Amino acid sequence: MKSISLYVANNSYLTKLHPFTKLLYIAAAVSIPLLSGRLWMFCTWIGVSLIILTSGKLLRKTFPLIAFSFTILLTIFLIHGLFHTGNTTVIFSIGPLHFYKEGVLYSAKIGLNILNMLLSFAVFILSTKPSEFVEELEKKGFSPRFGYIINSVFQIIPQMIGTMHTIADAQRSRGTETEGSLFTRAKALIPLISPVIAGSLINTRERAIALEVRGFGSGIKRTYLTDHPKSKVDILCRLILYAAILIAVCWRITLCLI
Amino acid sequence: MSYITAVNLKYRYPHTDRLALNGLTFSIEKGEFIGIIGRNGAGKSTLCSALIGLVPQFYKGAYGGKLLLEDTDLSITPTARLCSRIGLVFQNPFNQLSGAKDTVYEEISFGLQNLGIPRDEIHRRVEETMKLLDISEFRDRNPFDLSGGQMQRVALAGVLVMQPEVLLLDEPTSQLDPQGSEEVFHAVDKLTESGITIIMVEQKMEKLADYCDRILLLDDGKIVDFDTPQKIFSRPDLKEHGICPPVITKLFEDWQIQMENGLYPVTLKEALSLKKQIPSDFQKSIYQNQSHLPYSEYTVSFRIEDLFFYYQKGTPVIENLSLTLDTRPTAIIGQNGAGKTTLVKLLKGLLKPVSGSIYYKKEDISGKTVAMIAGQIGYVFQNPDDQIFKYTVLDEVMYGPLNIGMNKEAAKAHALAAIRLVQLDGKEQKNPYDLELSDRKMVSIASILAMDTDVIILDEPTIAQDFEGRNIIRSIIETLVSQGKSVLSILHDMNFVADCFSRVIIMVHGKVLADGTPEEVFEKTKLLKQAKLEAPQKIQLCRLLE
Repeated sequence: MKSISLYVANNSYLTKLHPFTKLLYIAAAVSIPLLSGRLWMFCTWIGVSLIILTSGKLLRKTFPLIAFSFTILLTIFLIHGLFHTGNTTVIFSIGPLHFYKEGVLYSAKIGLNILNMLLSFAVFILSTKPSEFVEELEKKGFSPRFGYIINSVFQIIPQMIGTMHTIADAQRSRGTETEGSLFTRAKALIPLISPVIAGSLINTRERAIALEVRGFGSGIKRTYLTDHPKSKVDILCRLILYAAILIAVCWRITLCLI
Repeated sequence: MSYITAVNLKYRYPHTDRLALNGLTFSIEKGEFIGIIGRNGAGKSTLCSALIGLVPQFYKGAYGGKLLLEDTDLSITPTARLCSRIGLVFQNPFNQLSGAKDTVYEEISFGLQNLGIPRDEIHRRVEETMKLLDISEFRDRNPFDLSGGQMQRVALAGVLVMQPEVLLLDEPTSQLDPQGSEEVFHAVDKLTESGITIIMVEQKMEKLADYCDRILLLDDGKIVDFDTPQKIFSRPDLKEHGICPPVITKLFEDWQIQMENGLYPVTLKEALSLKKQIPSDFQKSIYQNQSHLPYSEYTVSFRIEDLFFYYQKGTPVIENLSLTLDTRPTAIIGQNGAGKTTLVKLLKGLLKPVSGSIYYKKEDISGKTVAMIAGQIGYVFQNPDDQIFKYTVLDEVMYGPLNIGMNKEAAKAHALAAIRLVQLDGKEQKNPYDLELSDRKMVSIASILAMDTDVIILDEPTIAQDFEGRNIIRSIIETLVSQGKSVLSILHDMNFVADCFSRVIIMVHGKVLADGTPEEVFEKTKLLKQAKLEAPQKIQLCRLLE
């Protein structure tokens, strides 16, 4: 079955880190540059994320994410570089187009911020198994029902995609034309979508029974198959991250006071 | 006091007027293997649901009488608590998986985790159960990637691991191939030795006769009889209750040969004990309903030449297949994954050959779209819920004919005729989703028949059908053949194949292993074994008698 989760099970040190440590990394990577407000801080954290991703053998999986955001970054750069409200100083021109220093700086800040967030989230998402994360959340008191919903999404969406293909085949067999003009396709939508919805409603009832007969609603405190104790590396990482956030906060406060 | 006791048990589903269970009184002792039989709608599944408290707690509705497991009142004890004592496995393996676990191992442990069983105990029990059901090799696989039979064994393991005292099985093998269902029966048989009480709803009478201590016969929510398989299957009024006795019992009834206790035999073993009394011309009566027209009476429909197909490069599904299909009613049999469905999808044009060609009436169909050949080749999918989307049965059945260019009057006439043929007349204006699965299946068959195609492909038409439903399908096939149409069907029910088809093709790993009349094909014991199939019971008996 094709998974829709982006998790890469490559057994690197990154996958072995506790999910919460990686969450803390996101918090640090996003908050510290914002607190400091300095462009070079964004660059530093982007660099750190890239180093982490490379060491976790995840860099190649990151490229599609960067490519995806690139169009947005480019648009921001063009709009602000050309038309930002505070634009006064021209730094370079391409033909009749004049790019201004203020706008370029402003867009660089937004762009780097987006890139930074993207990469720090990539560190978490690419190296964390969703079910493992949910299990850790549940251990901390997160509702198992919500946990189940999150987990099941990762299983059920690919299933639904599979069912869609079967339904499309079944309707094509009855002469539904699914290819061609926009109108033809729109007409084919109802025969394709209705069985998916009706089918999932039927399945949901059966699955609710299946969960019930396996004690899902028993209200007893669950056992978990694995412990995920914080390793020494986890503790060390967390200490560094907490310290970094603390320093950034202090620095910001002193900056305000002066 | 008995182990399980029902006293005047009555139940009505919400928004209905009919009692689904109507005054059931019975008792079951610990360690018994009980079979429940009856036509669709007789109340079999409802009784199972009542035994695990889903009726009335999950379904609501009106409930009366008493149902006890020792001292526990099953109507008020929450199912989530009962599940440590009573386990339930039902038809569809797919919907029984939790859908939240990535590996078979975690899937099986799901129930134990919910009950807060200590971790060491979970590991021990999961290992044990996997071994018992022979699924240890799949431990790290994603449960959704398994075949039906394997998935059903995982579902069974997920319930067994909770070590219930009573195991309810609601048609656990109806969606499996012969090999898969044999795997499940074999696993259940192993359990009986451990003293667990088993209650099984099943349409395969031959299997029940082999395994059950007693059989509960239900009709219209009432108990008709509750006795040993021999007594139940020797009843003269079985047909009136929608039950067909095992093939063997039927044969001995025809011959009027009884055992010493005045009852008919129900298993092969019992039949052999009466060997001396069996008439010498037994073969004649065994093959009596198989009159095949000579080959020349039929015209060729498909010609397949050097067909080659794969979904993923490197793992061919169909290899160098050359085959001619004609208007003889033809059954394709073989294990799950043998390439049967792939082959018929290629014939239907839903898939395109990687190499080789398929000619339909001398025309190469590889270049045509599915919609273009929809009017010539009809294909009924396995699961009716994959196609139904209209609010009435009539509209649903008319959808196909209208698509292929019939005018409204012609479409309606064809639709009504098709609805009559599948015996759903009177239900034309009903919403298909208010019908039972067996009837929905008939709707999907009718919706293809109404298109009046020359070829009709049926994928597993007998799933979810009881004796009457199978009879309807048999008469549909006979009608189609008499109209000169080609019927091609994928089937797992060998007794049905032997009775209704003049040509049988066995497929294994994308190749044709055997091809001929049922007698010729089912004679080849070695090939059957290789294809992991079982000969129909009649032919098994024949072979044992020779």
